[in-house]
Amino acid sequence: MVETEITFDLPVDPDRVADFATAVGEDNPVFFDADAARTQGFPGPLAPPTFTVTQIFQVPRDERERRLGANLDYARVLHGEQEFIYERLPIAGETLQGTMRIAKDFTKEGKRGGSMRFVTYESRFTDPEGDLVLTANYTLIETAKDVG
Amino acid sequence: MSEPSNVTLDAITPGMDLGEAVFGPLTRENFVAYANASGDDNPIHQDEEYARASGAPTVFAMGMLNAGYLAHAVSDWFGGPQNIKRYKVRFTNRVWPGDEVVCTGKVVSIGSGVIKVTVEARRRGKGPEGLGLDEEQTAIVGEADIVL
Repeated sequence: MVETEITFDLPVDPDRVADFATAVGEDNPVFFDADAARTQGFPGPLAPPTFTVTQIFQVPRDERERRLGANLDYARVLHGEQEFIYERLPIAGETLQGTMRIAKDFTKEGKRGGSMRFVTYESRFTDPEGDLVLTANYTLIETAKDVG
Repeated sequence: MSEPSNVTLDAITPGMDLGEAVFGPLTRENFVAYANASGDDNPIHQDEEYARASGAPTVFAMGMLNAGYLAHAVSDWFGGPQNIKRYKVRFTNRVWPGDEVVCTGKVVSIGSGVIKVTVEARRRGKGPEGLGLDEEQTAIVGEADIVL
């Protein structure tokens, strides 16, 4: 049975934050060093702006597809757009709660025939107090079967 | 790689260019490191045979890796990642092993303390043999809202 939303925990593990920051070429100590982060007024190291993509560890693609039921053919799917809207950045050491749903699902006719389907997964992340931390919009594009 | 600048709002003017931040040349190891850090284990980014069977000439970077570099650049231009309040990207071309990712941006407007910028990441390199790619192509177009 298809569900309207999936809730999951997103641990903002300090080692995972450091690995992620390193992978995008960061050496700003605010991502790595608790003392440096505190000096700048944060309770701990910050997670990089795109860190919550690690939600795929918590809800793998197949599970997301099965539970939300977008019925996408991944042989024809591209990552089209990504958006993050921040109240603040996640802090290493905390665990956020994510709630993911399909926010948009529409089809556009292409100029050269063949339609494209746009599916946007919205994930809202809240902290243990229930306050919103950030919203991530992940938009996939499914290209037409017969595009030559 | 770089240090966040100590920019202040009165130093920002509409139309201002934000400079250029260059990452890479990217290696297959960068893709593996990002896969491990992000959880994006799609083999099309790591497995040559799988990539070719999928119709790509070789493996290519995850869009979110390039978006991570671009977010890194925006963080540094505006005094740190905590100043980014919204970040949105659209993916327009793949980035290949050996490519550099060249990040640029421009201030669009300033209003009510919010700086709106457009950003771009270009791939720069020869690209896979036989594709005949232009030396530079836009890989990401995006926008960000900044509050200092």
